[in-house]
Amino acid sequence: MIDMFFHNFKYILKTLFKNKMLIFWTFAFPIILGTLFHLAFSNIANNEKLDIIDIAIVKDEEFNKNIFFKMAFKELSDKKNEERLFHTQYVDEEKAKKLLEDGEIIGYLKLEGETPKITIISNGIDETVFKYVTEQVLQMSQTGIFEIEDINIKNISNKNLDYTMIEFYTLIAMAALYGGIFSIWVMNQIMPDLSAKGKRIAISPIKKGTIVLSSFLASYIVQLIGMALLFAYTILVIQVDYGVYSKLVVLLAAVGSLAGLSIGLAIGVLMKVSENSKTGILIGITMIGCYLAGMMGISMKNIVDKGAPIVNKVNPAAMITDGFYSLYYYETLDRYWFDVISLCIFSGVLILISFRNLRRKKYDSI
Amino acid sequence: MTVFKTFWKILNKNKLTVIIYTVILLVFGISNMKTSEKSMNFQAEKPDIAIVNYDEETELVKGFVQYLNKNCNVKEIENNEETLNDAIFYRDLNYVIYIPENYTEEFMTGKKPELEVKSTGDYQASYAKMIVTRYIQMANIYQKKISDESELVAQVNEVLKNEAKIEMTSKLDSNAMQKVTLYYNFASYSLIACLVFMIGLILNSFNQEKIKKRIIISSENCKRHNRALLLSNCCYSLIMWALYVIVSLILLKDIMLTTRGLIYIANSLVFTLCITTLSFLIGNLVNNKEALSGISNVVSLGSSFLCGAFVPVRWLPDFVIKIAHVLPTYYYINSNETLGTMEKITKETMQPIITNTIIMIAFSIIFIILSNIVVKTKRKIG
Amino acid sequence: MENVIEVRNLVKKYKEIIAVDNLSFSVREGEILGLLGPNGSGKSTTINCILSLLKFQGGNIKIFGKEMTPNSYELKSKIGVVFQDVSIFDELTVYENIDYFCGLYVKNKETRKKYIEDALKLVGLEDFQKFYPKKLSGGLLRRLNIACGIAHKPKLIFLDEPTVAVDPQSRNNILDGIKQLRDMGATVVYTTHYMEEVEILCDRVIILDKGKIIAEGTTDELKQRASIEEKVTVEVNNLDVRELPKIKDLMNVLEVSYEDNLLLVTYKDGKNNLVNMITYLKSKGIDYQKIYSERPTLNDVFLELTGKELRD
Repeated sequence: MIDMFFHNFKYILKTLFKNKMLIFWTFAFPIILGTLFHLAFSNIANNEKLDIIDIAIVKDEEFNKNIFFKMAFKELSDKKNEERLFHTQYVDEEKAKKLLEDGEIIGYLKLEGETPKITIISNGIDETVFKYVTEQVLQMSQTGIFEIEDINIKNISNKNLDYTMIEFYTLIAMAALYGGIFSIWVMNQIMPDLSAKGKRIAISPIKKGTIVLSSFLASYIVQLIGMALLFAYTILVIQVDYGVYSKLVVLLAAVGSLAGLSIGLAIGVLMKVSENSKTGILIGITMIGCYLAGMMGISMKNIVDKGAPIVNKVNPAAMITDGFYSLYYYETLDRYWFDVISLCIFSGVLILISFRNLRRKKYDSI
Repeated sequence: MTVFKTFWKILNKNKLTVIIYTVILLVFGISNMKTSEKSMNFQAEKPDIAIVNYDEETELVKGFVQYLNKNCNVKEIENNEETLNDAIFYRDLNYVIYIPENYTEEFMTGKKPELEVKSTGDYQASYAKMIVTRYIQMANIYQKKISDESELVAQVNEVLKNEAKIEMTSKLDSNAMQKVTLYYNFASYSLIACLVFMIGLILNSFNQEKIKKRIIISSENCKRHNRALLLSNCCYSLIMWALYVIVSLILLKDIMLTTRGLIYIANSLVFTLCITTLSFLIGNLVNNKEALSGISNVVSLGSSFLCGAFVPVRWLPDFVIKIAHVLPTYYYINSNETLGTMEKITKETMQPIITNTIIMIAFSIIFIILSNIVVKTKRKIG
Repeated sequence: MENVIEVRNLVKKYKEIIAVDNLSFSVREGEILGLLGPNGSGKSTTINCILSLLKFQGGNIKIFGKEMTPNSYELKSKIGVVFQDVSIFDELTVYENIDYFCGLYVKNKETRKKYIEDALKLVGLEDFQKFYPKKLSGGLLRRLNIACGIAHKPKLIFLDEPTVAVDPQSRNNILDGIKQLRDMGATVVYTTHYMEEVEILCDRVIILDKGKIIAEGTTDELKQRASIEEKVTVEVNNLDVRELPKIKDLMNVLEVSYEDNLLLVTYKDGKNNLVNMITYLKSKGIDYQKIYSERPTLNDVFLELTGKELRD
């Protein structure tokens, strides 16, 4: 039996690698998508930070008189100041208007007696900060105390905060679930009710269990190779951060791939539709799963986790994504193990459901 | 006429693809309507924060919380470390403030007790930090003068009432324009995906060996046949385009009927025709349905990511934007962005949009020439 | 001679429809048995039941004297099947395809290599070993399909319409191959709806219609059951239709028809029918281009038995 196992294993492996479409969707497509994500998102983290804001101040009589404003904005525009907020130009009102129209500055400040007036073109965070800081200076001037003391604030947030990582985790989840295409395809080859090849195999003197197991294993190997390539690419080229537990990352990828194959198995064995429709169903399920896990908008996962937690508890894409996220963001591993075990249960249930059909040897019709 | 008939038959068989991409666009459009509602106006730039208070409900704490409520969106979130951590990571909160035990007591005795915070580190968080700092600093100043807690809070509140005057010069409803821009930018994805795949499929079935032979020897001459094919493809493209314009009319309503809205629509028409010619080229190059679905996915996703249909252009790295210049989608989206922020529609301000249009037309001509070359070389070999 | 297959009272229903109706027959060692019948007559269903792929409602099946079940691995190793649909891997070459299926039966690599070479020779695909199926024509694909089914040198071979949509050259090649297999000692069950093939190939024929056996015997036996003994065809232009009744009255004539300048006359018995016809035509001064006589075919038998043509 062991000879037969490897004979079948060898050839299924070969056919899987030779099938261009299978390899494109499971190997190449995630890498292409990952590259696109990288190109599109690589700058977001920088964009999230507050930039130095370009402003102008109308340098007139009023301003020259107001020592508070003069000092404060000088301090806030000082290149040596670590907490620098502004790049300030001191000009007359005509020039300020011109600068604003040309988009050189986001707004300008003019002191009108007691109240400062800010002219801006539209709304945004920069404008808000400008207004806010101006008010703060104004209020300080009311107290008459110029000396500002620092206050004690201690930041205790977790370190890894780059939320674009979620995109890459959902990408891994997508690749893992796309692996289901392999098991759909393989089942189509070896099940007698699905193809003539399957009939041919069924009438040979090999135990069905041997064939199913060795074919499933072959597709798992191909799937793992695909995942390894994707990981190598995301780590070496895209520089995705998976946290510090590399062994646990491998385990999660392996379990996630198993979940993908199980979905493919269940679809392949239980659904009585054409192979193309089966692939379509798998891709549909995967994309919906990835959408809920945050692929098309990172906050979606949090919204679902909060609003309808059960949905992402049965969504394998979310389990995989959440597993990577917890490795990256949390220092404890409770959540990671919960995800891994969920994925195992998920795969187990699907394999069990498919089992009756996998074992069947005689059919009502073929 | 047979060309047209066959055309619609194939289309009908593959209508699911069209439906899927249209639904994606709809889902995006609707969810976009909802989320962008708040983040676009002045007030909503308030950061989202949570307060965890371990101190008593003292006057100082009450005053502080009241102040934060006024200046930030204080969210009621379950005080559970994991929930708070998740919320920070997913930017559901920008800032979490922990007020430690005995904070008020220590503060009133002139010590400077420590506040613990969690922060996303983005600009919203920086803003939240400013807000917090201002209150505590102000209270610090008055603490030296006033020993009564209630009086101190009252004084701080009084001084914080001083505000600056704001004058906004722009009359443009940038919020609404933003939505139109986002919708039309995203529509480029659905359009490319639908057109490349479907037109490719249709050309394929016409180019199939047997049919090709039959057509070459048929009485209907070759040029007329090709023209009919191109015409029916354009017909299909225009229907898809009209469909997406109608969806935009339903979602965005009368804003689409202003001059500006109509320019958006015109821009998308030029783009549609450009993509039709691109699809024509791809369909002539690729002779395999499965490969076609791969290519249409890569082309549509690729151009959408690189040109800023999904992620706003201003967030893209410079080198990506440079690469994007070789794709027609870039010019389409550039026009949309220009329209979204343009103050007034004048001859001068329209100039960049006109340039973009000319570039898109140039792309179309190149695609047509290329596909003619492809068709000719193929016929010689076949 | 021993019976290789023994089918007793086989009944197979697809929901309401009875596909195989109380079928009993046996296959003798070393013969080529033809299962003949129009589409939907239950040929493939019968084979699938024998192979234990299909559940059936009644009857029992014995192969080499033993009950056939899905777990009869011993029996299965002696059987080879060529299914109606081409069942091969597009991703594997001709050689690899045969190796894969043969490998399910034969462990030893050396033996397998020899078997594959034999199979390639048998179907005439030696020159195409390294080809992928996409590059093969329909006829060559069918040959590959056969090679995959029989490479392990089975004692009992089922061939389910292996020549559908095959060019004449490939068909002859295939039929020769099947004869060779029989000559090497295999027993063959061959289903088809092509009469000519059965006549050339089969030692014995079972004619199926609507799941029942309507006739059984050697081709000659079957033909004898038909009332037609001889067919004479005359190619003649512009025959006066008034001649037809007169011809019908000639000796031994069963029926007369005239269509597309072809005069077709069937005889129930007797000798010298052809000579009589020529004499008659001469006497009437009718010019004819060609005249020839044929023995009745199985198609005529089938037509008589069921009242319908075999081919649709």
